[in-house]
Amino acid sequence: MNALEPVLNDPPATTPHTELRRGAVAALPVLLGFIPFALVLGAQASQQQLTAGAVALMTGLNFGGGSELAAIELWTSPPAILVIVAMTLLINSRHLLMGATLAPCLSHLPLPKALGALFFMCDESWAMGLADARQRGGFSLCYFMGVSLSLWITWVTFTSLGTQIGPLLGDLRSYGFDMAFAAVFLVLLKGLWKGVHAALPWLFSLFTAALFYLLIPGGWYVLAGTVAGLVTAYLWAKP
Amino acid sequence: MIDVATLVTIVGMAVVTYLTRALGFLLLRNRPLGPQLTQVLNAAPGCVLIAVIAPKFVSGHPADLIALGLTVYAAARFSLLPVVVFAIVVTGLLRVLLPA
Repeated sequence: MNALEPVLNDPPATTPHTELRRGAVAALPVLLGFIPFALVLGAQASQQQLTAGAVALMTGLNFGGGSELAAIELWTSPPAILVIVAMTLLINSRHLLMGATLAPCLSHLPLPKALGALFFMCDESWAMGLADARQRGGFSLCYFMGVSLSLWITWVTFTSLGTQIGPLLGDLRSYGFDMAFAAVFLVLLKGLWKGVHAALPWLFSLFTAALFYLLIPGGWYVLAGTVAGLVTAYLWAKP
Repeated sequence: MIDVATLVTIVGMAVVTYLTRALGFLLLRNRPLGPQLTQVLNAAPGCVLIAVIAPKFVSGHPADLIALGLTVYAAARFSLLPVVVFAIVVTGLLRVLLPA
């Protein structure tokens, strides 16, 4: 391509700063689900005698809500280290696939930068980053980091805050805040929708995950559902 | 102060979680993707998202199932913020009207 030719695909005047802010603003609706969930998690952790500092350390270094909720439910004194770590690995195994789908978006970056960005990858920031890339014709690392950092800061702040004020709030889940996650995920799914044919693997994923959730205890359902969906996509892709 | 067993558990969780985040990327980073693998990876985001919320579809509580159905309907039509607010309010109201 001629270097002087204007690049029409590029949105006008994006700087790292505006992209970070665009991501942080896009993440605001997601916080409606994050904050109550974080407070509940903190409150449950305090019932297991975990301090605010320990909770901040866990949620800051691990940053995976599902695995942290499972860890706190499994927590004993002293904690069963191997059981908790194995459950964490199982619940977060979906990240392997998520990271793989980001490979084309991040492979042009210096390796430390890509590995740093991946530390902050969660379900929401990953799906929003990919949806944004699809919409605007290119992956914006700063947008992705804007979403990720605002979620990370909120998560760490409100989980540790939850250890202090969570017990006063009662069970926030009974008010309907838990449906915020389903709502976020469903809107993200709509953004990925490319017709019934392309969505067939989702149906197999949903069906298998639901079946595993009902029949097999533990955190196997996400992995099982995802694998079932991908096998469907693989068979579907054959000419 | 944080005790040693707690610290080891937290660091162990952090290490395995970071490995899941980095390994998928590292394995595919310098690999040209065939059309079939591309198609599988294109299906991955939807499969992961739907699998994570699958328990909501089989919760067995009438209030939650109706709320989920209405949320699916709203998600197909509106943007993120109104759908999230709608989902929270409708779920809260239905749980009051139809206690489990």
